[in-house]
Amino acid sequence: MKKLNMSRRDFLKMMGVSGASLAASAGLDPFLLHTLAQEPVQITFGGWGAVAEDEGVKAAIEVFQEEHPEIQVEWQHTPDAGEYGTVLLTNLAAGTAPDTSFILSDQYETLAANGVLMDITDRIANDPLLGQENYFFEPQEAYRSAGGGDGRWYGIGSTWVAPQIYYNADLFDEMGITPPGFLDDEIYDWDTFVEICKQLTVDTEGRHPDDAGFDSENIERYAVDWNWGWQFLGSVIHSNGGQYLTDELTFAMDTPEAIEALQRMVDLIYVHHVSPRSATLSDLGMTNTQMLDSGRLAMAVDGSWALSWINSNELGITVGSGAIPKIVQPASIMQAHFHSALASSQHPDEAWEWIRFLATPFYQTHFAKIGLWLPNQTSMLTEEGLQTWLTEGIHPDNYANFVTDYLPKYGIAVRLPSGYIEASNNFITPAFDALAAGSAAADVMPAAVQQANDVLAMAMQM
Amino acid sequence: MTTQTSTRKTPFSWFFDWYNQLPMVRRRTIIGYVFIMPFILGFILWFLVPALVAANLTFQRWNLISPPTYVGTANIERLFTDPILPQSLKATFLFTILSVPIGLVFAFFLAMLINTPIRGIAVFRTIYFLPSIVPAVASAVLWAWLLNTEFGLVNYFIRELGGPKIPWLQDPGWAIPAFIILSTWGVGGSMIIFLAGLQGIPEVYYEAAKLDGAGRFRQLWNITLPLMSPIIFFNLVMGFINSFQVFVSALLITNGGPQNATLFLVLYIYRTAFQSQNMGYAATLSWVLFFILMILSLIIFRVAGSRVYYENAD
Repeated sequence: MKKLNMSRRDFLKMMGVSGASLAASAGLDPFLLHTLAQEPVQITFGGWGAVAEDEGVKAAIEVFQEEHPEIQVEWQHTPDAGEYGTVLLTNLAAGTAPDTSFILSDQYETLAANGVLMDITDRIANDPLLGQENYFFEPQEAYRSAGGGDGRWYGIGSTWVAPQIYYNADLFDEMGITPPGFLDDEIYDWDTFVEICKQLTVDTEGRHPDDAGFDSENIERYAVDWNWGWQFLGSVIHSNGGQYLTDELTFAMDTPEAIEALQRMVDLIYVHHVSPRSATLSDLGMTNTQMLDSGRLAMAVDGSWALSWINSNELGITVGSGAIPKIVQPASIMQAHFHSALASSQHPDEAWEWIRFLATPFYQTHFAKIGLWLPNQTSMLTEEGLQTWLTEGIHPDNYANFVTDYLPKYGIAVRLPSGYIEASNNFITPAFDALAAGSAAADVMPAAVQQANDVLAMAMQM
Repeated sequence: MTTQTSTRKTPFSWFFDWYNQLPMVRRRTIIGYVFIMPFILGFILWFLVPALVAANLTFQRWNLISPPTYVGTANIERLFTDPILPQSLKATFLFTILSVPIGLVFAFFLAMLINTPIRGIAVFRTIYFLPSIVPAVASAVLWAWLLNTEFGLVNYFIRELGGPKIPWLQDPGWAIPAFIILSTWGVGGSMIIFLAGLQGIPEVYYEAAKLDGAGRFRQLWNITLPLMSPIIFFNLVMGFINSFQVFVSALLITNGGPQNATLFLVLYIYRTAFQSQNMGYAATLSWVLFFILMILSLIIFRVAGSRVYYENAD
């Protein structure tokens, strides 16, 4: 083969001419000029999550980049949510914040108020998909996303999560006990709940809490392990007509309704002996999941996200689900993190494209299918929409009722004000610890609420 | 050609030209500085600069997001009205006062045990030392399981022996003892230092004491302890400083709970800085920790330091 003696300049000339004529003949020249002229824009996306979330984000990035070859997303992953909050703050301080990020619900208001998050109100309103009426599950989405109380959007709620009961359906069947559900007449009232809990709790000799000689120090099976996180205790307070946080964004757990509700939680452990003492630290030792699986627990009150591991596919039992019991009315605090673009991003349009993509069905469906999330879009809650994510073996048979009936009626969205983390860490969580150790709610809550509200007031002044 | 090579300048030749002209004493001084330069740089970068920044932050309010603003002495005044600080100091002092002596006695006891010339002693030495090389995070997770009220191994044994179910990590009264157990588990480091000290005591002293009719306790009291006093003192100071800075286990196991019972000072500083987003107050708390450590170190040196016996001291 004869070697072509061509200089570099000649070669480039030839390639340019042939490329241009090819593009012109195909009518592609505007496209080619655009893509040749521009490298893909790189944006970063910070967040946390276990394996499922990590993989979900990576899968989403692949799909997004196929749809948007002009944007490259770099996923900056931190496994633990709390740790990510610190990582984000230090990055903000160092001026190395990502373009887009998960935002913890308890950091959202502070970040929005400090101008860290990009205002996306107009972008949402003008978006042909996200701007549609009833696109999001309302009114919670708009209420919660309007951080800072100015009616502007600084993030989109990634999803909704809420407390629910997980129960060992085999055990309920065996004992002939009607399990809880999500429809109005299936939700336990508190007395029924306690009564059923007593039937389900047994000591090592097979005695129940009301039996003579019941040994509360040697319980073989507990009826319920109730997560003592704020959403779970807050839901009980709302169920008794109280409030966790008022509309003025102050703690309200010192009202008679709240104190009564919290005392009922204490009584589950110390009066009725149907709940283990270690519930406050459910992440220690044997988890509620292992307890359910091994038959040492009949019910676990946990977040809807836990469905991704407390499900019939994962465990050796059939898992059922239902609403948490009501005191005077059903109530459930709905909460989750946000997807936001950061105001410091040099690529606001690309950042918006990515945030927008995360609120479209593909991304939502992925996480809804594995049981981690409840969709935040109304289109996924229609008869047709439900089919796209309800998954056999993950979602119990009655799960549609949770999202189509129960949550729209009884779900409560809350805003967590600036100063919330400090107030909660220093005063509210220790107060909950005291309750879990058996202190009376009336003795603990008024002082704790007062001190916590002082912190919120101080944060408001800053 | 040869001449050309010998006169070619290397990048640092100016330095060596200058260095070679110096008298020997100056050269040695320079070499000395070069050798301690890693420490000096580390001291400047990781202590002096952060300390100065912290001193400046004491007079600022900074939430890591917006620029710092000058607030005068507000952060210092807050120290006197902060309801959490006394609780945090109480937890830290209580833990230190209890865990340091217990750890010292236990490490000394173990060192004496593994100093016995029996077959397979290396295996025992390894076993006792192992816990101290388990990473702090792993050992925290492990102890969280062991101390679980309902299902933990510790409570299992206590109950098998007829004892009560102890809420180690749920009851504020039991949380500090739980952390003392945890810290005692990791005394392998001090134990090895004690062992090295014990092996440095010449056997001839014991032989002489035996000839004079001294029993085991008399030998321990009159030979071992005095000769070990510099090492005991060293371990005391280090144990004291370390226990004042307990952090990882508290963060991972209880996160300061229950009821702030394990909100040790460093954990409180971390929480104030990175969760409550109050860098200025966290810096102020850091200075509190610094002054406490400095004052108590001085007291220890004054009280215990004078009782230390140095064999080769003038």
